[in-house]
Amino acid sequence: MIELNAVALRYGQGSDVLKDVSFKMEAGDFRFLTGASGAGKSTLLRLLFLALRPSRGQALIFGEDVSNISTRQLPLIRRKLGVVFQDFRLVGHLSVFDNVALPLRVAGQRPADYQRDVIDLLDWVGLKQKAKELPETLSGGEKQRVAIARAVVSKPEILLADEPTGNVDPAMAKRLLHLFLELNRLGTTVLLATHDEQLIAQTKGKVLRLQNGIVKDL
Amino acid sequence: MANTIQKPAPIFPPRAAPLASLTVTMAVMCYLASLAIGALILINHAVDNWTHGLSREVTVQLRHISDVDPAVQLQQSMQVLSSTAGILKAEPLDRKASLSLLEPWLGKITGEDLPIPQLIRVTLDEAAPPDFVALEKALNTAAKGVSLDTHQRWETELTRAASLLSNLGCGVLALIILASVMLVIFAARAVLEANRQVVGVLELIGAKNSFIARLNDWQFLKTGILAGCVGAVVALLTFYALSATGDSFSQVGQALVFAPQGIQFINLAAFVAVPVVATLLAVVTSRLTLSHMLGQSR
Repeated sequence: MIELNAVALRYGQGSDVLKDVSFKMEAGDFRFLTGASGAGKSTLLRLLFLALRPSRGQALIFGEDVSNISTRQLPLIRRKLGVVFQDFRLVGHLSVFDNVALPLRVAGQRPADYQRDVIDLLDWVGLKQKAKELPETLSGGEKQRVAIARAVVSKPEILLADEPTGNVDPAMAKRLLHLFLELNRLGTTVLLATHDEQLIAQTKGKVLRLQNGIVKDL
Repeated sequence: MANTIQKPAPIFPPRAAPLASLTVTMAVMCYLASLAIGALILINHAVDNWTHGLSREVTVQLRHISDVDPAVQLQQSMQVLSSTAGILKAEPLDRKASLSLLEPWLGKITGEDLPIPQLIRVTLDEAAPPDFVALEKALNTAAKGVSLDTHQRWETELTRAASLLSNLGCGVLALIILASVMLVIFAARAVLEANRQVVGVLELIGAKNSFIARLNDWQFLKTGILAGCVGAVVALLTFYALSATGDSFSQVGQALVFAPQGIQFINLAAFVAVPVVATLLAVVTSRLTLSHMLGQSR
């Protein structure tokens, strides 16, 4: 599913943000990605959802070398990835329902096909009553849950989440963790970037620790 | 909510881009294009009428020659004309009618001593006109100082002038189309810029460029239809207004809007083409521009 061999990455002419990242995730794996703030967790996730390409080394996603993926292939590979962004990236003028349904619309589904699934998912993340509201009326935690619902609505093969519980209370964090574990149980490969050690302690998931641009696969 | 199918909101906010400005400027372009089309139609109709009149008639000119009696010269020429196949009517012009033809160049002529040639207006059978070379030869044989004017020079001049004006009109139309294309490209860029954040999200969740480019089709379709219809209708109203002015412009307007039914239908079809072309131009140009820009940004 994901295989990185001696991957390094730098922005422009700057110094390497990632220096030597090597790890492998098989289908159905669940991993935490942890490290201090600024360690490069978000950069590594950006590389994995194909927003960046490695400066050195080899990164394989679904067996495809990230450096060689064409712009034509890009959308089809991204549809197999679910991403929860740290800054949510919700579309401001779309309702909660329409934001969550967006990946399904992009994939060509009609409202009649996805309405039930979207409502069920909103119910699960506790936002069914806010389905018609705009993101600007939601709290940070609620926006986080909308972002998570959008990332998982199309049942992706790989889920990448950047601090998905950073803006929610411990009870909701636990509930969201269960959602991720449930998705993983159903076959989704999950990589969850967090610095919440308590959250990590609640599961038996393996930990990838990013230190000085180097990942040690624990 | 669970029981009714929700109509999804547009992914791009409808008022996020300056499409209202595009609609106004496109409407002006369509108005100018409609005026150019009207002018082209008028030029073509006028040239058709003129050349039709010129090719239906020829003029026989009898110059004064000192030892020839003008009456005999006229009689001999009329005999030739009346015996030639392909001539429907030969009508000598009296001196007053001949002088009136010179008025535009010489002004009002009152003197009786001006030696002007005798003219014969000859109406031809358009289906089977006579052989002009043979006719001129026969006239020269029958009487001295007779020449045949087939109006060929005038017809050539008129056709050349009309062709020049038509090309000019087509050039103006081409410039208007070019300017409209540039306007749509500018607006499509503005649409993408105004929705940059949404486009970023769409790209990250796997939207293809074609999907994103299609999102604005309806907006540009509406722009093209509205601008085209407004431009064409206002141009038609302009021609109607011209036809009612009562001065020299009124004939221009009347020739266009009160043309015979068959011609009027063709005229209207040309004006209806304006919104159709404007709509196609808006949709196709915006789609190509957006696809190109999205391809570059990946």
